[in-house]
Amino acid sequence: MSGIDYATSDGLALVAAVRARRAAAREICDIALARIAARDPDVNAFTRVLTERARADAAVVDATIAAGGDPGPLAGLPFAVKNLFDVVGLTTLAGSKINASRPPATRDAAVVAAIRRAGGVLVGALNMDEYAYGFTTENAHYGVTRNPHDPRRVAGGSSGGSGAAVGAGLVPLTLGSDTNGSVRVPAALCGVFGLKPTYGRVSRAGSALFAPSFDHVGPLGRSVRDVTAAFDVMQGPDHEDPVCADRPAEPCLPVLDTGAGGLRIAVLDGHFANGGEPGAFAAVAQVAASLGVTRRVTIPEAHRARAAAMVITASEGAALHLADLKTRAHDFDPLTRDRFLAGVLVPTTWYVQAQRFRAWYRAQVARIFREVDVLLAPTTPCAAPLIGQERMTMDGVEVLTRPNLGVYTQPISFIGLPVLSVPVTMPGAMPLGVQIIAAPFREAHALRVGALLEAKGVATAVVSA
Amino acid sequence: MSDIPTRSELGAYVDEAAKLCGLPIAPAHRPGVIQYLGVVSQAAALVMEFAVPETEPAPVFHPTPGEP
Repeated sequence: MSGIDYATSDGLALVAAVRARRAAAREICDIALARIAARDPDVNAFTRVLTERARADAAVVDATIAAGGDPGPLAGLPFAVKNLFDVVGLTTLAGSKINASRPPATRDAAVVAAIRRAGGVLVGALNMDEYAYGFTTENAHYGVTRNPHDPRRVAGGSSGGSGAAVGAGLVPLTLGSDTNGSVRVPAALCGVFGLKPTYGRVSRAGSALFAPSFDHVGPLGRSVRDVTAAFDVMQGPDHEDPVCADRPAEPCLPVLDTGAGGLRIAVLDGHFANGGEPGAFAAVAQVAASLGVTRRVTIPEAHRARAAAMVITASEGAALHLADLKTRAHDFDPLTRDRFLAGVLVPTTWYVQAQRFRAWYRAQVARIFREVDVLLAPTTPCAAPLIGQERMTMDGVEVLTRPNLGVYTQPISFIGLPVLSVPVTMPGAMPLGVQIIAAPFREAHALRVGALLEAKGVATAVVSA
Repeated sequence: MSDIPTRSELGAYVDEAAKLCGLPIAPAHRPGVIQYLGVVSQAAALVMEFAVPETEPAPVFHPTPGEP
């Protein structure tokens, strides 16, 4: 494979090499598998590696090219998925011990099928917080996923394996899910790009849900164009997901390099400018300065939006697992069990009021989007905490570490806005992320800004050696 | 119960509500359940104290499957 470094090339560079016959998909697949074998014991991103299946899929790509056929826009691209996505022949764990006794999936989740149809080569399934209820991937059943840039630290969650696998250079592309920040938080802490599309833009069919009012699925990758290419093949209506929007796909790759001209951009103030460590706000300031952005806007009641997201999440998450909570609570991960049990007992009046507040809040943010196109905010309040770190300080107050990693992501996913988290790393520091937030179904706006930041060298994925 | 219940009030609520829901809570799990319900109750207090103008009081239901 001449002229390409697997560990640092983005996915589309590998695809280009395959399509131009400068590299075989099988060759790239074997490099991916070798790197996983060498590096994953230290990171623990994978819960399953599909060696033979991946080789067979890669061989099909090579055969298609040899026969003069079109192998697809992601030809030969190795990818892996959070283990809450159905993969034919595998039991969908969703990070749990309970689900391990279930039968294997008989078909791929819609998004897994879409990436494979586009020529992607599935190499395995990835670790996560149990049932996606967490921000740290300290999983009691399958072990902690370690940050690829410092093994003493968490990778973020709940799609921790998805962030770590990209940050460790194991695969250039992964899929995760995001309910309250679970794509964006690990993307930020692992130094990679992560896209949470608009609620309803991408089908969740065949993925284990957590809190259906907020559940999204999205890609993590080494470059903006990688996550964009994956998003483009996944987006569009799907009658098998009842919340999937009935609107046509709007491909973003063709407009990715059109810059940010004409886009009105502002930094989020208020809730999103308080409580975090200075580095989190420095990252936002660096992004804003590179874009020439000085405008600041405030989303009203964002702290209350986060609170309402917590209420709805607790209630809906518990409802999904009620039968197991009644009969085998001891089989849940201790980090999720008591929260799920408590969620069963959330009064309905709280839940309904939180949903009513959500409608009001959505209207307030819609008004802001009449004046601006893109909003900037930190992804997390701090860089990756230590594994097992129970508490941290925010605004001089000691708070629980794990729930507060989502303090800036929850008020955004609460109303389903599309967000690209871009990695920003200061010299000698652990990676951080900046959220590029757009109006509903305007993923292209966020991706265009992200591509510009990447081109300027302000946002760069960091892959550990 | 006030907006922010005491731990004792939460404990009493957990015991009775769990019975009503048919949810066994092992003694070892009870303190954690009370603690987290306390966290949610603080979040709920922020939500409940906010006067939401008249809105549809529940997620909108469409009688035809597949309609957005």
